[in-house]
Amino acid sequence: MRPTLASRNRSRSLFASLRLAILSFVADPQWLVPSMIAPVIFGLVSFELFKGSGPWFVLYAILGAGMMSMWGQTLYGSGWATGQDRELGTLEPTLSAPTPYLYVVLGRVIWNTVSGLLGGAIVFVVVALSYGRPVPLQDPLSFVLLFAFVMVSLASVGIVFSAAYVYTRYAGFVQNIGEFAFYVGTGCMFPVVLLPFWSNPISLVFPPTWALDALRYAAIPGYQGLPWGFGWDLVGAVATTCVYLAIAGTVFVRVERHVLEVGNLSDY
Amino acid sequence: MRIDFILGTIFVIPLTQMIFFAFVAQLADNPTSSIAYVVVGNAVATVTYSSIFSVCQTTDNEKQAGTMEHILVSPANRMALYFGRGLVPILISLATVSVALTYAVVLFHVAFAPSAVVPLAISIVLTAFAMVGFGLLLGGVALYLRTSIILGNIFLFLGLLLSGANFPVSSLPLPLQWIGRFLPLTWGIAAVRAGLSGAPLSQLLPLWGLVGLCALVAFGLAIGLWDTFERRALATGSIARY
Repeated sequence: MRPTLASRNRSRSLFASLRLAILSFVADPQWLVPSMIAPVIFGLVSFELFKGSGPWFVLYAILGAGMMSMWGQTLYGSGWATGQDRELGTLEPTLSAPTPYLYVVLGRVIWNTVSGLLGGAIVFVVVALSYGRPVPLQDPLSFVLLFAFVMVSLASVGIVFSAAYVYTRYAGFVQNIGEFAFYVGTGCMFPVVLLPFWSNPISLVFPPTWALDALRYAAIPGYQGLPWGFGWDLVGAVATTCVYLAIAGTVFVRVERHVLEVGNLSDY
Repeated sequence: MRIDFILGTIFVIPLTQMIFFAFVAQLADNPTSSIAYVVVGNAVATVTYSSIFSVCQTTDNEKQAGTMEHILVSPANRMALYFGRGLVPILISLATVSVALTYAVVLFHVAFAPSAVVPLAISIVLTAFAMVGFGLLLGGVALYLRTSIILGNIFLFLGLLLSGANFPVSSLPLPLQWIGRFLPLTWGIAAVRAGLSGAPLSQLLPLWGLVGLCALVAFGLAIGLWDTFERRALATGSIARY
């Protein structure tokens, strides 16, 4: 079956957006640095605090720092995808183009996922080198796969944020203010069960909470995380990621239709 | 700075940062870094958002808005310009640390004697001045960089590692301890800790002296650096390149 004109346009937009994201990154790769500085330092601080707590605690520092780096890239990249368009004055023309805006954002998100993984890997290496000994990984392959999955779960949150940012000019504010709250809420450097019980339902709304807990169950022997264990963590992570992606798709379509109907995009 | 950013910097970031490190400290259960120790360190360290990152970014903002060249050729008094840039961040820094320490006392039950109010206030004011001076110094360096974001990010968080915010500076390797001693935040945190614990004046005075010295050196270097870069920019007309 031959692809329709609409599907050809969509894939062309997706690849053009992806290409532009890659070219922008290659032209000025220093932008990866800001999203890595804080995670590296937080990783080293946590590593210092965990010193003497046992060999497995280095994994808390590494996983947390890696997640922070990926989140930084996702939040500031994917989430900022809309804000950037608004600043450059390209949001209105892009939204009024025949191809859905989602495909333009998706191209950026794909690249942010890749560069986020790169940032996460660099942070992993830096903290691991500071440790000075081989990192105690039981199953490196499943660790890498789950690490990549954490990134996908983060990207799903980033896309939802990106859709919501069409309606607000406070995207930068939300990103800056929400960063630590997200780290706390998802338990990126400590098991989420340490948080007060009432906050657990809020944490479980976010896919990375499930994915990180699963990753720790797989990597840290004797880990005491969410009571249902690795298997259900994985199911929860996949399910919430799918829900986020579905919400993002729906929200993008509705937001796009709404701002085109009402014509009030420049109000935000 | 927009009001939403100011309110976020004063009320939200300190709270979430302190909660984050409090949970890390709880998990680590490290005797040298109790929850109270980490919470107080981070309460003071949050001063970097307004004093370093924001001040550093003003250079970027002026370049982006195209006002830097106008400032460089204006006959305005330079001291007024430099201190004017620092005044609002000093006020925001004071508010940030005060609110953060209130969180520390009210939410994390950090011990606080009423007699500690005056020493603590002096420590906070000196720290805010020293940190904004340091931010202005970095802003001067940023004049000759394409962007100050990387520089700002490095010094925004470096203090968490090197200044004794989360663990004693003595735990670090010797070279890092020396770098930490050159940061105003290190002495600011030490002064606030001493103020909170009701340390005698004989212990507080040297710490205040060191924070004050850091402030003087930072402001002096910042003014010197801006002066040098300004002359250079005017002589070569090169500022637009950065």
